Amino acid sequence: MAVAAAPTSSRPGRRLVRRVARSESATGWLFASPATIFIAIFGLLPIAWSLLLSFQKADLLTPDTPWVGTANYRQMANDPLFAGAIQHTIVYTSLFVPGTIVVGFLIAVALNRKIRGISIYRTAAYVTMAVSSISTAIVFLWLFDPVYGVINYGLSLLHIPQQPFMSDPSQALFVIVLMTVWGWTGFAVVIYLAALQGIPQDVLDAAAIDGASRLTVLRTIVVPLLSPATLFLVVWLTINALQLFDEVYLSTRGGPLYSTSVVVYYLWDQAFRQFNAGYAAAMAYALFLVIALVTAIQFWLGNKFVHYSS
Amino acid sequence: MAQVELRNVTRRYGSDVFALRELSLDVADGEFIIMVGPSGCGKSTALRLLAGLDKPTSGDILIGGRVVNSMDPGERDIAMVFQNYALYPHMSVYRNLAYGLRQRKTPKHEVDERVRRTSAMLGLESLLERKPAQLSGGQRQRVAMGRALVREPQVFLLDEPLSNLDAKLRSEVRGQLKQLHRRLGITTIYVTHDQVEAMTLGDRICVMSEGASQQLGSPQEIYESPANTFVAGFMGSPAMNLARVPVVDGQVMWGGLSVSRVGPGLDEVTVGVRPESFRIVGADETAAIAIVDFVEPLGSHNLVHVRMEVGGGDPRAGERQVQTDELVVVQVPAKERPTPGTRIHLAIDPTAVFLFHAESGVALTGVECSRVAHTS
Amino acid sequence: MTAHTVVTVPDDVVSGTSTSNLVPDARGSRVPSPWHLVLIPITFVLLVPLLWMLITSLETPDEAAQFPPTLVPHAIRWTNYPDALNAAPFGQFFLNSAIVAVIVVLSNLVLCSLAGYAFARLRFPGKSLLFASLMVTLMVPFQVTMIPEFLIVKWLGINVASGVGIDHLGALIVPNLVTAFGIFFLRQFFRTIPVELEEAARIDGTSRIGVLFKIVLPLSLPALSTLAALTFLDSWNNFLWPLIVIDSQSNMTLPLGLTFFQSAHATQWTLLMAGNVMSLLPMLVIFFAAQRYFVRSVAATGLKG
Repeated sequence: MAVAAAPTSSRPGRRLVRRVARSESATGWLFASPATIFIAIFGLLPIAWSLLLSFQKADLLTPDTPWVGTANYRQMANDPLFAGAIQHTIVYTSLFVPGTIVVGFLIAVALNRKIRGISIYRTAAYVTMAVSSISTAIVFLWLFDPVYGVINYGLSLLHIPQQPFMSDPSQALFVIVLMTVWGWTGFAVVIYLAALQGIPQDVLDAAAIDGASRLTVLRTIVVPLLSPATLFLVVWLTINALQLFDEVYLSTRGGPLYSTSVVVYYLWDQAFRQFNAGYAAAMAYALFLVIALVTAIQFWLGNKFVHYSS
Repeated sequence: MAQVELRNVTRRYGSDVFALRELSLDVADGEFIIMVGPSGCGKSTALRLLAGLDKPTSGDILIGGRVVNSMDPGERDIAMVFQNYALYPHMSVYRNLAYGLRQRKTPKHEVDERVRRTSAMLGLESLLERKPAQLSGGQRQRVAMGRALVREPQVFLLDEPLSNLDAKLRSEVRGQLKQLHRRLGITTIYVTHDQVEAMTLGDRICVMSEGASQQLGSPQEIYESPANTFVAGFMGSPAMNLARVPVVDGQVMWGGLSVSRVGPGLDEVTVGVRPESFRIVGADETAAIAIVDFVEPLGSHNLVHVRMEVGGGDPRAGERQVQTDELVVVQVPAKERPTPGTRIHLAIDPTAVFLFHAESGVALTGVECSRVAHTS
Repeated sequence: MTAHTVVTVPDDVVSGTSTSNLVPDARGSRVPSPWHLVLIPITFVLLVPLLWMLITSLETPDEAAQFPPTLVPHAIRWTNYPDALNAAPFGQFFLNSAIVAVIVVLSNLVLCSLAGYAFARLRFPGKSLLFASLMVTLMVPFQVTMIPEFLIVKWLGINVASGVGIDHLGALIVPNLVTAFGIFFLRQFFRTIPVELEEAARIDGTSRIGVLFKIVLPLSLPALSTLAALTFLDSWNNFLWPLIVIDSQSNMTLPLGLTFFQSAHATQWTLLMAGNVMSLLPMLVIFFAAQRYFVRSVAATGLKG
């Protein structure tokens, strides 16, 4: 007798699958919507709007925002104050990033041992992460005060002449480098310490048996194996350095006469003090492009030199 | 000269944790000595002390007759193969092999020649440009060996080098290690927890437990004359059967055996019989009686797990027999396959019975052992 | 047998695989390691700014204004603290910072969990495109978005609710209720949880939101606390955005209030340092209490990156 084969997916079954899928879609959208709405309003919309603003003249007070085409961008190219800000930012970045990496690395190596009280030493290193940029700036302003500051006192003990520090534009930037290196040391130490503890002890033992001195081991084994962490720090610190603002605001207000201004300070000043928001938006976009470009170059170079042990 | 000596070496952590307690060991030039024992026995610690990766709390370490306690690992002219190989992950196989030579400022052409020679010996020529991550476990192991051998060291230290290999590869490499040693004759100290490796590779074995050497001797000596219950139970697979038996009137009765001249003042001894020293016999021969619990067939032989009867009523009169709780393992030829639950008769070779002090586990000497008629 | 106990030394110490010990410590516990000689000066140099700040906050203005500087004040002058509190409403600053930070952290935990879970496990149309668009915001620096955000917040303050507008705490809270970073971070973490656990719960009849709350979130506590720590730190120390939207002192957060205080009392160092100490204390206390999470959160971002 012939028996009819049952259909592989019955109609009620298919409807059930579709209902489940639909409810999953609905749930997915439901879960994702609140976050999406906020990010759309406060993230995506501003990104687009900012681009628009960069082609307009805006003062943030009146609703008029006439179209000016590429005038803002052209102004940027010819603005000596902007050029100055760029230069200061570059000088700052090229001192801050290597400085933090070297200091962080050395301290992490010192902290990478099991002796009594090591957790206290480690905590002391991490603490700098918890101090806000403003608090740090205030403390360093006091330390580097030209008249009463402890640093100048220390210099006098070493028979080095007193320095003007913050009152001198050429020195102010270096003090800012010092205070930000201090502030970011904790971060670099955490990263490097975690990476150091990922190096198997027996690889280091093998190098010792092979006759390498401690310094050689550091140079030929530890540093190369730490390269992923170093790349991460270079990228992360550079991105932060290019966005320097708080410390400049607090210590010098970019002055005197913009001589210590950095890019973000200058653009903030243009947007919120000089009523030139369109110009500021153009500069912000330029900064964005630079950050993206620099990061891409760093990753590209990094992939050539960084060793990833799988 | 590359003899190695540990003289009363102690390694203490804190104030009361001892990894090694007064260990003394003499390794002759060119000898292949194995340190074997369970985890935590101190064998790896001893190796690390020899390598210079750690300093002894007291005692001396001598290589080639010189005390090297204060020498850096790199100055001792030793090489080590690690359990996890410890290859330099960011360097090619070539650079891994060359690293040690470069640290000693060896001229470039000599480095190249030696690296190529060693890689040829170990079959690594085609892998020289690869990085460790691109190699299989067996290949990495060979690179680790190569890195050690290329330096032509005085002493060769190996820390469980085979334990991360699969079983088939392990026995292959074991054979290769033995050949290498015969060919190169380097003084070798090899640490393992695997007693098969210990028995097959070593000229002499040092059995260790809890930071101290339990016995030092050739594989034969260790197997045939264990110094204490630890060595007896550790070496040999399956392990020797050990049972505590009371001493009555200077005599020990167990498993159809009578052991006399046991020595004064002992209430109890530990009796040891290896599984292969039993034979299943017919009921008429003088023997011990046991009930079969289960059988493990291994192809070439069977392991029968039994419970021994230690006396009590007369079985012929239907009286209940008392059995020990302990399972005894008996090794029999593959053809003999008793059924679980049945009673079998076992004969024990009287020359293969060991007696140990019940408390300390130390082997007792000067005892006589003979078979007796089955007591009812 | 000697009287000493013989204990099995932990495997990783014996086999040498315990990392972070580049110097074998062969001495007993009696002799301290020479590394203390290196670590103590380093620690001192790292902490000297904070120590000096503390010392100055306890000095008289005359002592502070001396050269050579007074290293140890004659008497501990606690009055600098109440004086600072009178000069600026630090309590209010602290409260504002706390309200903003707590709300932002809680909101992020909830909304990023929901969205992160949706992106990690649920299928819905447009999911990849949406996720990619949200991640775009991670790549764009704040300076690009801050100007339009100002305008949006201003508009909201006028047209929706004044509490959200310029010069109100809402302006600090609302734009930060969700971050793309939080969504990304939790999505990555949720994907590491074995799917079988969730499927088993679904088969037992748990709703999707039930699965999230009863299965996934309890297993995600490390990630959630890490995100909370990072978000809190970020919110508390944020300066540029509050500078842009807040004008009145009563609505200032700590960093902003501190700046204001500093410009008003620039040369009154003792007062300034007292104010600074007070501003730092809450964050330091939280840091010490939750140190593990802060450290882990930083290490997590670094090791993933």
